[in-house]
Amino acid sequence: MNPILTSVPPYVLLAFAALAVLALPRRSGHAVAALATAFTFAQAVLLGDGGTGAHLATQFLGFDVVWFNVDQFSLLMGVVVGFLATAAVLYAYGTEAPTWVTAFALIYVATTVGTIYAGDWLTLIFFWELMAVTSTLLVWQYGGAAVRAGYRYAIFHGIGGTLLLGAVVVHFANAGTFLFSATDGIDASATLLAAIGIGVNCGFIFLHTWLPDTYPRPHVAASVFLSVFTTKTAVYVMYRAFPEGGMWLAYLGGFMAVYGAFFALLQYDPRRLLSYHIQAQVGYMLAGLGLATYVGEFAVTGGFAHLFNNVLYKSLLFMAVGVVIYRTDVEDIRDMGGLWRVMPVTFLVYVVGAASITAVPGFNGFISKGMVIDSAHEVHNFELLFGEGLLWWLLILGGVGTFMSFIKLGYYVFFHGSATLSPKDATPFQTAGMVLAGGACVFFGVFYYQLIELMPFTEIILSEDVYFKPYSMSHLTESAALLVTGFVGFFALKRPLAWLAHHMRDVDAVTYPATFYLGRGSVWGVTELWAAVDRAVMATIASAEWIGMHPREALARAGVDVEIRTGIGRSVLFLTLTAGVALFVFVLS
Amino acid sequence: MSDVLLPVAIAVPLVAATLPLALGLKYERAGWPVAAVATTALAGLAAAIGIEVARGGALSHALGTYEPPIGIELVADELSVAVLALVAAVSLATLAFARVAGPRGNSFYSGYLLLVGGLTGLVLTGDLFNMFVFLEIVGISTYALIAADRSGASAYASLKYLVVGTVGASLYLLGVGYAFLATGTLNMLDMQAQIVQQASYADPLIRASYALIVAGLGLKIAVFPIHAWQPDAYQRAPDAVTTVVAALVSTASAYALIRVSYTVFTVDFLAANDAITTGMLIVAGASILAGSALAAMQSDLKRMFAYSSVAQFGMIVAAIALANETALLGGIVHLVGHGLLKFGLFLGIGLLALGYGARKLDDLASAARSAPYTSGAVALLGLGLVGIPPSIGFLGKWYIGVGAVESSMAGGDPAGIGIAVVIFVSTLFTLSYVARVIERFYFAGVGLSDGHGDDHDESGHGDGGGHDDADRGVAADGGRESVTDDDGDGPLTPVEGAPRSRLVPDRVPPASLAILVLAALTTVALGFGGYALFEWFDPYLTEVFA
Repeated sequence: MNPILTSVPPYVLLAFAALAVLALPRRSGHAVAALATAFTFAQAVLLGDGGTGAHLATQFLGFDVVWFNVDQFSLLMGVVVGFLATAAVLYAYGTEAPTWVTAFALIYVATTVGTIYAGDWLTLIFFWELMAVTSTLLVWQYGGAAVRAGYRYAIFHGIGGTLLLGAVVVHFANAGTFLFSATDGIDASATLLAAIGIGVNCGFIFLHTWLPDTYPRPHVAASVFLSVFTTKTAVYVMYRAFPEGGMWLAYLGGFMAVYGAFFALLQYDPRRLLSYHIQAQVGYMLAGLGLATYVGEFAVTGGFAHLFNNVLYKSLLFMAVGVVIYRTDVEDIRDMGGLWRVMPVTFLVYVVGAASITAVPGFNGFISKGMVIDSAHEVHNFELLFGEGLLWWLLILGGVGTFMSFIKLGYYVFFHGSATLSPKDATPFQTAGMVLAGGACVFFGVFYYQLIELMPFTEIILSEDVYFKPYSMSHLTESAALLVTGFVGFFALKRPLAWLAHHMRDVDAVTYPATFYLGRGSVWGVTELWAAVDRAVMATIASAEWIGMHPREALARAGVDVEIRTGIGRSVLFLTLTAGVALFVFVLS
Repeated sequence: MSDVLLPVAIAVPLVAATLPLALGLKYERAGWPVAAVATTALAGLAAAIGIEVARGGALSHALGTYEPPIGIELVADELSVAVLALVAAVSLATLAFARVAGPRGNSFYSGYLLLVGGLTGLVLTGDLFNMFVFLEIVGISTYALIAADRSGASAYASLKYLVVGTVGASLYLLGVGYAFLATGTLNMLDMQAQIVQQASYADPLIRASYALIVAGLGLKIAVFPIHAWQPDAYQRAPDAVTTVVAALVSTASAYALIRVSYTVFTVDFLAANDAITTGMLIVAGASILAGSALAAMQSDLKRMFAYSSVAQFGMIVAAIALANETALLGGIVHLVGHGLLKFGLFLGIGLLALGYGARKLDDLASAARSAPYTSGAVALLGLGLVGIPPSIGFLGKWYIGVGAVESSMAGGDPAGIGIAVVIFVSTLFTLSYVARVIERFYFAGVGLSDGHGDDHDESGHGDGGGHDDADRGVAADGGRESVTDDDGDGPLTPVEGAPRSRLVPDRVPPASLAILVLAALTTVALGFGGYALFEWFDPYLTEVFA
């Protein structure tokens, strides 16, 4: 293995590339950026051939740390992040993204890669916090409504990052080391802190409102970057913290799938709709990881395969929707329609992405979602209809909801009455980015063995003991039933859904005002309390000073009428008394 | 024979004290030159004694032909040299101020020289009864000097000091008498030996003797609650008298207490009598707290710093009672340092009173604008009094505090920690009243328009010329009507006929101002000399704690 590959952490290169984007002219800057991300991808691919190990293990602040930890999991993250970032840079170039957007995006990618390749909790939390900072900057760069949303985003991730930091501290206090290799996941005493801290980034239900709030606001190219890195890295870190999984995680994932898909169904802002799907898709991944112990490596592989695929098709969808927004400046799908004639390339790319996310056979989502659902098939804790458990039904329901919402999105954007807009199609570089991502979606859907090759536990999945035949008749039937249900469901429920969309608010309708007034109230309370303390103290000091300066008047007011100045007689009396007391004490003691 | 320097040092001011009166028959203004020559000579003698001591250790001289222990012995060691140097320097330096500020007249200078001679003798004597004589010389000349401006208030203050001071001195004499009864000797070193041989540290007679001496000297030092004469005396005395009295009289009494406690009764006596040291520590702590609090309550500047002295001498008494090496070093350093600080502070206050008529805190608004050098020096000295390094005020307090903590650590006696806490609290009080002064100097009256230009014209001597060039800079932005508030927030304005200088804008006597600045800088310079001070006092401390 080439020592250069193992000694150059890619995030350093990416950080320099981010500076280069600012320093160089736009074209060459983006070229450097694409090269840096492509290097990240290529390095991960090459390191897959026997390059695993804890590289750059050293001491920092007296702690053992690993700055470049290469194993099966970090490699698959490195491959997909490097690949997709390259596509996204091309897309950003084709979308006239300001150089600041690309620079922030690249430094954001750098911190993401740093999180991925961290070999210890200290390095991880360092990059984790930086990721929150850089992504906030990426949102803020756009200005306008993105500033307030970015502020809420920063608060969410500040709290989440602090909780995870607390978890890391507790972990160190108990385990005595930060290294991943020394322990099996995070220490049990830090479970809750870690789960909530990472859960913010995962978009746990009730902690997810930043997702649909933030991602529709910034530049469309920024959305492409944002949509795939923070949440997917969080899933990866979730596995680092809980390699054993847990049923709580699996069921939480199941509910996230339904919740996200349901709210996606109610949206008319295309990027907001896609943002809710991030939550839903993360739900599938967490369901897979959560079954690590109950089902085994197959479920973990399913979760990671879904993560891998999701990065590809979710960004692809954001790219396609981004092209429409970029060309039309419209952000409400009811104002679009009939665009498939004027934007055939974009339409085609959208179809690939939608087919992938809805698990149509032949696309990558079909493979990985099938693995997760197969895993859930073996869970029978709470049996419902047809002998299937609650988890399975949740995931199926989420799948139906996903399909309905993408029919809705496609229907409104590309069909839905006559065309009132006639924009141009995607630019060449946008097309290049989309073709890269979309091609990968189709490739891994067809040649799914390649996907499994990239995954951990390849031998186990491909061995005879494990039933892994995605294109078996049962899977195809299941998929067909899902698709038909979704198709019928959408057109049957179109009107009720439209009615619901006007009346059904997400939890942020309550949590945001509550947080705002709570914050304002506490600021007011602290300020007023301090003012009261201040007034009391100052009044006490003033009265003490007055008494000190006017002792006679003070005594007179208290009704005591004595002379307090010591005259000659009293002085002699005091002296005599003192001498007497001294004699008494000194002699008789 | 070099040790003849000791009687000469005492004799020069005492003999010179007769000259102003004698020459006064013929020359009206003979006093000041005589005093100047005598104190200059004393300064030279003090320096010579210091050099001798530095070279060869302690000096001693038997007066007349009577050898000790029968005869009177004069002794100069490191401790007495340090206080002697302070006496010589302050008495010389104060003369410059007395020349312009008064009181005038030959009798004043006679009294002044008598005081200086008494102080010198007090510092150099090695005999307990002789110490009483010098204590009385100091006392009587002080009573006279306090009343030197012949006002009613100063006469009352003087009378008060006279009555209680006489009682205090009598107590001291009574204590010496008891000790003489027990040991049959009056020589300090001899008594030290005789106490062990003929009596014991537990002997009631010895204990009673020490109690009376402490009470008597405590009054002279002015510790709470027998301090009542001191604020009146300091406040009512003429400014020049306050300067010398505040710097030297209590200091010499505290020196006497150190001398008696450690040379006559010794550290073993203190160690053997816990109740005595505990009682002294309680009085000292009360003195520190009460003095600081009372000082913070005052609005008259001289009275404020008078009460401050009560607190500072409380610390020195505490250092004596703590009876360990670090604390005693701190006590001695603070004794000398405090003398210097108070000399500077009262000189500065006197200068402001002389040049601007400012006697109260409220009068000082924006003093730094019209009297920058005076204000700066007073502020520097004030911060030294608070104990802000680098200043000798910090060193003394620091060593006392460290010694207090050490004594608690070593003996488990909580009184030491108590003293350390009390010193800390006192420092806060000190900061509060010094900060008030500095606030008046630099920040009060900011919103007022500058009325200096008008005032200069009114108070100008009309002697033409560019005599007040230096003032023009101050007046340049003025020229408007001054807005003077009734509550005394008006800016500091010079009195009519205040002295002028071409070098500085301060309307104060330049020679005195130079001395003030020199004193302020000296306190800072000594603050850097912590190690040198330790080296200097080390032989004395080694002997005491042998």
